[in-house]
Amino acid sequence: MDVVIQIIASGLTLGAMYAVSTVGLSLVYGSLNMLNMAHGALLALGGYICFYTMTALGLPAVVGVLAAVVVCGLVGLLIYVCTAAPLLGSPQFETGVFIATIGFGAVVENVILRMFGPQPQPQSLQVPGDIVIGNVHIPNQNLLILAVALGLMVAMALLLKRSRLGRAIRATAQNREAAQLMGVRVGQIYAIVLALSGGLAAISGIMVSSLYSLLPNMGGDPMLKAFIICIVAGLGNVTGAVISAIALGLLEATAQYNLGVQYSFALLLFLVIVVLIWRPYGLFGRKQVVRL
Amino acid sequence: MTPLRRDVLVTVLLVALAATVPFLTSTRYIVTQTTLFFIWAIVVTQWNLVLGVAGIFSLAQMALFAAGAYTTAMLGYYWGVPIALAMLAAAIVVVIVSVIIGLACLRLRGPYVALLTLAIAQMLYLLIVNDTDCFTTPPSGCMPLFGGVRGISRFGDLGFRALLGAKWYVAHYYLGLALLALAILVSIVIIRGPLGLAFQALRDNPGYAMSRGISRFKYQLWVFAVSAFFTGLAGGFYAAQFAVVGPTVFSLSQLLLLLSMMVVGGLGRIWGPVLGALLLMLADEGVRELGDWRDIGLGLTLMFFVVLLRRGLAGAAEDLWRRLRRGRALVVPGR
Repeated sequence: MDVVIQIIASGLTLGAMYAVSTVGLSLVYGSLNMLNMAHGALLALGGYICFYTMTALGLPAVVGVLAAVVVCGLVGLLIYVCTAAPLLGSPQFETGVFIATIGFGAVVENVILRMFGPQPQPQSLQVPGDIVIGNVHIPNQNLLILAVALGLMVAMALLLKRSRLGRAIRATAQNREAAQLMGVRVGQIYAIVLALSGGLAAISGIMVSSLYSLLPNMGGDPMLKAFIICIVAGLGNVTGAVISAIALGLLEATAQYNLGVQYSFALLLFLVIVVLIWRPYGLFGRKQVVRL
Repeated sequence: MTPLRRDVLVTVLLVALAATVPFLTSTRYIVTQTTLFFIWAIVVTQWNLVLGVAGIFSLAQMALFAAGAYTTAMLGYYWGVPIALAMLAAAIVVVIVSVIIGLACLRLRGPYVALLTLAIAQMLYLLIVNDTDCFTTPPSGCMPLFGGVRGISRFGDLGFRALLGAKWYVAHYYLGLALLALAILVSIVIIRGPLGLAFQALRDNPGYAMSRGISRFKYQLWVFAVSAFFTGLAGGFYAAQFAVVGPTVFSLSQLLLLLSMMVVGGLGRIWGPVLGALLLMLADEGVRELGDWRDIGLGLTLMFFVVLLRRGLAGAAEDLWRRLRRGRALVVPGR
């Protein structure tokens, strides 16, 4: 019984963490058809900015998180300006933007490497203490991650479903030309979506680094996991992404317990390969009819 | 002169030029670095067939290269197979692996293919690095099946060390050059031949091409198989050249370098990848002391070329040439 509680607790924490970064990626793909390979670098950047404001500048945690969100949002905007905007409308947009964002991510990651060095650092935003359920100690840090992730998901859902901006984002995702004809400023929407995704990446990066540690290339694995979740859900499907994130978090925790940590990620990758071959448009995706 | 003959002639001239290098310099460093350039040039000319010509967004090429290197090393290490034979066997194994990956990718579209192939490469990397169980225990300590983090070494060589003594690297230089020449010839034949035309048709008007009986399925599998053969051979040659194979061949920065070579030179063109490989190897030599700045520079180069010089240097040169000739001849569309 204790084992089950333990697995559920860590699985939910992992899933919540993944959900935050996946929603950003999924939103970007849904509206722009763009795979943002610089997302992992944004995760690391967010973690480091929070660390820097709290240790070097000695400011409280709230300021650290806000600074990380703002900076990563701005860098997200920069990604739009540097890579996506000039390529919009080109016939090979998807390939081009994929390669360009790989380049952007490499730049950000190596700038971090130059500024903070290659050695791992502990994230300074830590909540001490834990609560006890049965015989299982659950750190407050995990509970905080879960709460923040839930809050963010609710906020994102409200933003997408209830606000004017959310309607514009959904309209652009469904049909760019039609949205444009209805007076939606598509370029602006794209910029906002990338900035939003950058902000979410910052929070996700702080979460990931608080459980493991800060490294310039720490974003690589979470980004690949986020992509896996996107694929399993069907690229661009935000609701499916949240469900898949939680499910994969639980699965990863189970695999870590039963098979050992070193095989859990390989197992996830194997799973995505199977899903892609069996259902190429994802579990929650709808089959697209391609007109020639 | 037909474009095919022109390209073959250019290849012959370039190979003859490259063959003189070991006579002009006795610096071992230059010769071995040029050999390394041959290896990367082989990989990018073959990757270009998949990515640039067929338009399949596969990132599996480095994984295939690694598969070739690992198969060669393991055949040599565990069974003592002569390395030349092991290289050939590795190339065939890689072709099979590539066709399987190709089958998995057939139903997928652009970015999904990139993610699937990236996931395969990452999975192989993690399985190799995280495997710590001893498969055999040689005197030097524990040896996992795939060599683990340290990789595999002491699997024999091509035999030139015994034959030529200290000058063995010159023999490797010529072997690399020969392999590159073959790889370029294959890519010329494919781009100028029916396979290239089929892909051009499928890209320009898929509906019409398919109704004329051009099967995407068949041609995609062909391009996966052909490009894998030389990639696997190059991987085996890499193992023989460095006498060690480790998981670093999977690294993202290596993938970044090779991708940049193609993008800088010009995707989908015959000479683009070779040109890009040459330029980036030279640039890499120039920034060797700069350390971290290397990857920053690579990233910026990649962005610059994708955003502003979409067709790469080869494409830009072609445009310039066409503009100069516009007065004289008809503009010929195509590659």
